[in-house]
Amino acid sequence: MVSLARKNLLKDLPRFLVAQAGIMFAVSLVTIQTGILKGFTRSTTLLIDSSAADIWVASENIVNFELTEPFPYVQVQRAQQIEGVALAEALTIGSGRWYSDGKLTTLRVFGFDPNGQLFRPGKVSDTAIKALNAPYSALIDRTNQRSFRIDGVGDMARIRQLPVMVVGFARDTQSLVSSKFVFTSLVNANAYISSGFSSGLTCQLGNGDITCVNAYQRDEDTGNAEVVDPESLNSDSPVTYILVKAAPGEDVQLLKQRIESSLSGTKTFTKNELINTTQSYWQNRTGIGFILGLGAIVGVLVGMVVVAQILYTSVSENLREFGTLKAMGASDWDIYSVILEQSLWMAVLGYLPGLLLCWSVGTWTAATQGIVVLITPISAVGVFGITVVMCVGSAVFAIQKVTRVDPGIVFKA
Amino acid sequence: MVAIAAQNIQMSFMSGTTETKVLKGIDLAIPSGQIRLMMGPSGSGKTTLLSILAGILTPTAGQVQLLGQEITTLSRKELTGFRRDHIGFIFQSFNLFPALTALENIELALQLKGYKGPGNKEQAFDLLKQVGLGDRANNLPADLSGGQKQRVAIARALAGEPELIMADEPTAALDSATGHDVIELMQYLAKNKGCTVLIITHDPRITDAADEITYLEDGILAKQSSLVSGFH
Repeated sequence: MVSLARKNLLKDLPRFLVAQAGIMFAVSLVTIQTGILKGFTRSTTLLIDSSAADIWVASENIVNFELTEPFPYVQVQRAQQIEGVALAEALTIGSGRWYSDGKLTTLRVFGFDPNGQLFRPGKVSDTAIKALNAPYSALIDRTNQRSFRIDGVGDMARIRQLPVMVVGFARDTQSLVSSKFVFTSLVNANAYISSGFSSGLTCQLGNGDITCVNAYQRDEDTGNAEVVDPESLNSDSPVTYILVKAAPGEDVQLLKQRIESSLSGTKTFTKNELINTTQSYWQNRTGIGFILGLGAIVGVLVGMVVVAQILYTSVSENLREFGTLKAMGASDWDIYSVILEQSLWMAVLGYLPGLLLCWSVGTWTAATQGIVVLITPISAVGVFGITVVMCVGSAVFAIQKVTRVDPGIVFKA
Repeated sequence: MVAIAAQNIQMSFMSGTTETKVLKGIDLAIPSGQIRLMMGPSGSGKTTLLSILAGILTPTAGQVQLLGQEITTLSRKELTGFRRDHIGFIFQSFNLFPALTALENIELALQLKGYKGPGNKEQAFDLLKQVGLGDRANNLPADLSGGQKQRVAIARALAGEPELIMADEPTAALDSATGHDVIELMQYLAKNKGCTVLIITHDPRITDAADEITYLEDGILAKQSSLVSGFH
């Protein structure tokens, strides 16, 4: 089959390349913006995703994964007693400050049971996790190594006034919207979070509800005082989540209800529910989703303008050809299909290098900056769909122009 | 049998509030298989008449029958289909598609006429060979001389074996010898394939190729003369 569309498109190679560069730009903008949005929203729930828990028990005031209130450790012990619960483990989250080489970095401390089964900070070796049983030891995400000024395993730094030794590195943990993550044991985390502060959690049971008040008081700087091992957790120690593994054959929804009725002031989530709640918060309740979406829309508009301009110019320059086609008996659809085929070729030939470029950029940013530009097969297909719609939509002006061509034009010398 | 017939063709164009009558009641009958030349000075209405006879323009008044079909009552879509199925065109400026090779120009015409099989290329090549350009099949129009381009255009017009060929000044852009060659070729192929040919021209060098000549002046038929061509 002779393709007039393809031949016309490649007739003027420099102009074709300029057009393709424009489409590539649009494809890249859309892919990177949506990729960053997806990568960023996914990054906020990486830790939930990598856990083996069936149910996450949180405070009833939870807003998202990192924005919630603590409850006393005794609730973990109570959860373990609930029928249908095979395993219950605590996870605690708090803030802190990392000092290394005299530089300060804010951080988010995650405390979990290194001997437990339900929480695992991304991709990390078992040896590194077991090493967290040592006092004042921690794991950091590999992408934060430079920010924390850590050269390798065994390096020392300070969290608030307490020492910390890096015993390993994790991968695929860091949220793009959070402070730098540090993973350690529950007892270490409790020490780091309350370091520099004295805390007291006071809970009162009344009318079946537990009301807890966690009071902090800043301690005086201990200077070079000898560091003692962190204290074990007690019933009042604050924890942020209870991770629950359901007994085999247990209905998770029923177990959720049972836990909520047994542990007052709590709200339960399945893994997917907590992921959705957190991602939805970042996408909808912050301006981030809007801003990145706006960037993607600008990309589509730029692409449409470029393609429309190229197709319109191409049609204008080939009016006599279209007139000839009409005189020869080409139907309107024959004519439109030439323009639509041109726009589809532009879409395909702009999309492929554009996606390749984004994939390369994404690989580079993930490796060097820890910023994931997430391009999934579904999003790649979605962006292709947008590119096709963009290019075909841009053909409307060219089609309008060619519709008005008088076939009598062919008889003019 | 009459291949092209027209009765009382009138055509007016409005320019602002001024009406210009281009054709003032043309009656015409061209028998099947005839080569008819339509001659006349510039502005006499030749091209307008050709456009009407080809179903590209609708006359202000009058009827046109092509191959026995009244075309002035056809819809735009039906007219497009009629042109595709029954008429081959040859233009003064060749109107070849510059991005397509000589062979592809003919293939495209075949495609439009519904020939989409694998034999398309062979058929197009056969037509090129008939116009003596078998060795130029893969050349782009820009690489062909004026005479060669018009030969490709003739081959394209013959694609799908239309019953009618309509040519608008086919020799105007060619030198005398080339123009004569082209007309000889048109005459030979038309007679060979039984086409009726209507040629608009004011080139006196090609009158000997026609069976009959119609003269048009100021929108009316001035005279008609029959010839016995030496090429028959």
